[in-house]
Amino acid sequence: MTQELSVVGKRLPYWAAQDKATGAAKYTADIKLPNLLVGRVLTSPHAHAVIKKIDKSAAEKLPGVEAVITWEDIPHKLFNPNIQDITLHMPQAVIKDAYIISEKARFVGDVIGAVAAVDEATAEQALGLIKVEYDILPAVFDMAEAMKPGAPLIHDFAKNNISMHMNFPVAWGNVQDGFQQADVSVEAAFQTSKQHTAQLEPLSCIAQFDASGRLTVWSPNQRFFIVRSKLAELFDIPEGRIRVISHHMGGGFGKMADMGAEPICVALAKKSGKPVKVQYSREEDLFGTWTREAYIESGKLGARKDGTLTALSMSILVHSGAYFNRSSATAIVTMGSFTGLYRCPNVAAEMTAVYTNIPCSGGSRGYGVPEAYYLLEQLVDMTAEKIGMDPMAMRMKNLKQLGDPGLVGLPLETPTQEKCIRLGAEKIGWQEKRSRKKEDGNIRRGIGMATYLDVSGGQPFDIQDRNIEIKINEDGSANLYIGISDMGQNLLGASAQIAAEVMGLRYEDIHIVYGDTDYCSFDAGTYANSGCYQIGNAVMKAAAEVKKLILERAAGKLGVTPDKLDIRDRRILVRDNPSKSVSIGEISKDCIYNHAGQHLNIFGKASFSPAQNPYPTGAVFADVEVNTETGGVKVARLLLVHDAGRLINPATVEGQLQGAMALGIGYTLFEDYYINPRTGVLESNNYNTYKLPSTLDLPELEVELVEEPTPSGPFGAKGVGMSGIMGIPAAIANAIYHACGVRIREMPITPERVLKALKEKVV
Amino acid sequence: MKKEICNFRINGRPYELLVAPNTTLSDLLREQLDLTGTKCSCGVGECGSCTVLVDGKPTLSCSTLAVTARDKDILTIEGLSRGTELHPIQKAFIDHGAIQCGYCTPGMIIMAKALLDNNPAPTLEEVKEAMAGNICRCTGYVKIIDAVIAAAHMMRKGGN
Amino acid sequence: MRILKPFEYFEPVTVSDAVGLLATYGDKSRILAGGIDLIPRMRRREISADYLISIQKIPGLDYIQEQENAGLKFGALARLYALENFKGIKKNYPGLHAAIHQISSIQTKHMGTAVGNLCVATPASDVATALLTLGAELTVSGVSRERKIPIGQFFLENNRTSLHGDEMVTGVNLPHPPNGMRTAFLNLFRTHSDIAKVSVAVAVVFEDGLCKEARIAIGAAAPTVFRAVNAEKALAGRKLNSKMIDEAAKIAAEETRPITDMRSTAEYRKSMSELLVRKALERTLESPKV
Repeated sequence: MTQELSVVGKRLPYWAAQDKATGAAKYTADIKLPNLLVGRVLTSPHAHAVIKKIDKSAAEKLPGVEAVITWEDIPHKLFNPNIQDITLHMPQAVIKDAYIISEKARFVGDVIGAVAAVDEATAEQALGLIKVEYDILPAVFDMAEAMKPGAPLIHDFAKNNISMHMNFPVAWGNVQDGFQQADVSVEAAFQTSKQHTAQLEPLSCIAQFDASGRLTVWSPNQRFFIVRSKLAELFDIPEGRIRVISHHMGGGFGKMADMGAEPICVALAKKSGKPVKVQYSREEDLFGTWTREAYIESGKLGARKDGTLTALSMSILVHSGAYFNRSSATAIVTMGSFTGLYRCPNVAAEMTAVYTNIPCSGGSRGYGVPEAYYLLEQLVDMTAEKIGMDPMAMRMKNLKQLGDPGLVGLPLETPTQEKCIRLGAEKIGWQEKRSRKKEDGNIRRGIGMATYLDVSGGQPFDIQDRNIEIKINEDGSANLYIGISDMGQNLLGASAQIAAEVMGLRYEDIHIVYGDTDYCSFDAGTYANSGCYQIGNAVMKAAAEVKKLILERAAGKLGVTPDKLDIRDRRILVRDNPSKSVSIGEISKDCIYNHAGQHLNIFGKASFSPAQNPYPTGAVFADVEVNTETGGVKVARLLLVHDAGRLINPATVEGQLQGAMALGIGYTLFEDYYINPRTGVLESNNYNTYKLPSTLDLPELEVELVEEPTPSGPFGAKGVGMSGIMGIPAAIANAIYHACGVRIREMPITPERVLKALKEKVV
Repeated sequence: MKKEICNFRINGRPYELLVAPNTTLSDLLREQLDLTGTKCSCGVGECGSCTVLVDGKPTLSCSTLAVTARDKDILTIEGLSRGTELHPIQKAFIDHGAIQCGYCTPGMIIMAKALLDNNPAPTLEEVKEAMAGNICRCTGYVKIIDAVIAAAHMMRKGGN
Repeated sequence: MRILKPFEYFEPVTVSDAVGLLATYGDKSRILAGGIDLIPRMRRREISADYLISIQKIPGLDYIQEQENAGLKFGALARLYALENFKGIKKNYPGLHAAIHQISSIQTKHMGTAVGNLCVATPASDVATALLTLGAELTVSGVSRERKIPIGQFFLENNRTSLHGDEMVTGVNLPHPPNGMRTAFLNLFRTHSDIAKVSVAVAVVFEDGLCKEARIAIGAAAPTVFRAVNAEKALAGRKLNSKMIDEAAKIAAEETRPITDMRSTAEYRKSMSELLVRKALERTLESPKV
């Protein structure tokens, strides 16, 4: 594609950056309403307990308390806050095992009640006055313990605390045969960790019923239309009587695609008859919203001695924690990524989800894919070592090619993966550093890599419908209606760039109306890298409709047929005679103020459901230094070479990738969601104990972009959001092995674990 | 516990407010004055998103009692711009793509101002050290650091 | 909890008034200096203070003064940032300077005071670890008397000092470093803003090529910061070569009583104590005088 683009491809300022830079942007916690009550949740101090009796009377009598709710006050409908049961084509993958307020305490922090009061101090006092009688039960915090016969039963239906076992339904070939055909096979098992998104904005929500009983909810959420439907189902309110507003979010990272505080906030607003704001403290957010999926993942790889794969098998124990949440959805993604990254004739995978009495795992940026590659890419390196082959060369032998079915079965559209690998290898000095002589000193250097395929949305497994509207104003500028929230990914800006490009307008001519179920049409939500690819396509379609109407009208004015016209720089020009032109503003004004009765509503609308799923792809190279005296790992260089298709806004893509790389480093090396093994209490419950990387903890995050437009993408763009993290943990782990010969079974890869492994290796 | 009438000077404007001693400065700004640009994310002084300037010193407003800030000059993010006229640091953050979700942004910009007021030509290392008390989860800090260095340049050239 | 519980608030303008309030309200009262540790802990309900006594309005507590070859002193309101940037500290007490410098949050250093840091009495305080090797002495005021507490007698256990209920620390004196003293400070942490897993400060006084006196302080490896006195004895009067250093480091590690917690394991802390003591002592052989 060699078209000249004037808006797409430019590093334009992020949409709403000005509001954020001046403090004008309002997040949910910033919103004030008259008579707004403070909502607070009451959580269980016990990891496992029957709630025998709750006495609310003293709390209810406290002046200033407007509502005290417990299990009896909420709709007794089981649900799953991941709310994928209404969008996944395979709904049985979602187990609904939770209530808005728990009927039994299943982890320290489980919500067992809530209050709404006139101010914080009264709300806190009220919480203290609620008398709860618990029957404390024995608790389990470890999957092996939980599965033993006689272990305390956490959910009645889940025998031995196993909620689900699933064989990967898309498996193919015969792995027994495959392993027999292999010249070498290698096995490994790893325990991934419960990284928390720890997004800067703690969970918040506002709910208000108006005088007619219509409900308005303000909530930072990546899928607020689905939230609306869920609230409708839970509270028996028709969707049309619920308005959800989701504007600025202080971070999403996939976790905010779950329902958060909305149900409890609505329940409080209903009981009190007043608007209620729930704001979690950082502590409540860390134990009360869900972490990345935690697995014990084991895998086996079989290959011929020339490196070609013959078989891959994987088994995952999913550590759900107290509730099911996304235990199957992420595991399916993990299994699909593990079996789908490379060409392999025989694959199989299975998962088992286990309950324990700890805060839940859900899904976070990457959604099971980094975990899959953490296992697979290490198996590849281990196999390459056994064969005596360069691990990069082994990868090249097995890459998917153009037209091959990719991770989700739909075909690859562009063959850029190999290009990314080669480019990265050259830039980092792969050959030279891989054959680098081992140093004698205490610092051992090593280099490792990982490659990945990612997705541009949840299709074909999930409803991914998009609806966009565009209207033209009197001056020729446009209002663009997009039913999404903004978590900083600048999808809104990118959409405006696409719309402007198609309609021949400038970026600043597009005004965005977003994040409101009253003004926008249904959108499936921004997750799984769906945004740029899918919403971008919908925006293109809607903008094309607007362009068509404008051209038709202008054709009349200019005396030619529409196909003879171009539209650019806010003007419509006759292609062969550009001095003959009219501005878009003149056309739109004439469409509205027309004394000859030729009124026209220039309006474009489009729906888009993706039929393809182009795979963002790339490679990560990590150059590390392991201090063999302290076990400390320093990432000296981290290079990501990535193909996101056309870059609608290069700064946006870089920013997404850099942020994901930082998240990946934190996940791999620093972040330890530390639950006390005796009590089940989350001890790393704030930023002073749960450590996110600061400016001093990260290497230079190098990003190299390979821009190859993908046929089905808007201007050739693929999705972006999660991609940067996919190969990070594996690349770092492979580099550590290259440096000092150890692989660490548990994450995060701490100096303690490295030192221990080094000592054991010597022995 | 007695509430007291306290005088504050915030963004150049005088305020006379009734303040309880157990009110933090961040709550005073956010709840009493609706200056919600300053964010409160952790409440333990670790993330820096509540950073304001008190007599020019970068201060964690979540860990500061409002009464201890009376009669001092307080600068919040709202005090940096004038209408559509932005401070060079704000411009640089916007121009360099340094703002994603924006929750850390006010604290980052105020901390950058504290840095550049004190050290108008910081090295890359000095910028990283200065911003080490401000956590961002979205950007990996790359473009934030670019923006601060660019702002330093701009400010040395054109004043402010 | 997002807000602080109510409390009575005082802003005395003299030390005598401040300690009088401490005496009146006893263990329900707390001193507020920078607040950087106190306020968050009050919010989290880890500390309960019905009476908060701010010392911020007491004049003359923010001094940092050098006396010509007679040491340095600083007051209860001397901020970590001011101490870090005080030339005399960088020059004469580089170990202390290093300990403060590696505190990564600039905001924390602007607000926090060194005295406040000491009074929290966490064994993981890098500042305390460094000061423990410098012969620091705390000046303390109570209702009826003033006294001086050598820093080695100040920390009783985690979060408990030897202050009486009516006492506050008004300042810290550091003697001028003896001739031939060299210092080093090292620590290990998860991320730069995290509390240390283990920290080590050493100060070695060299005379005629021998170690006249060694001071080895270890933090985060016992219920309080402490001096590894057995290791110090082993070095006194000896030549500091690698054999002696290794031996001393081993002995120092044996004196630790570390725990396993979210930041590290007891085994690692013990092991790293040995490593850091060794490396810190090696540093004193390289570092410039003082």
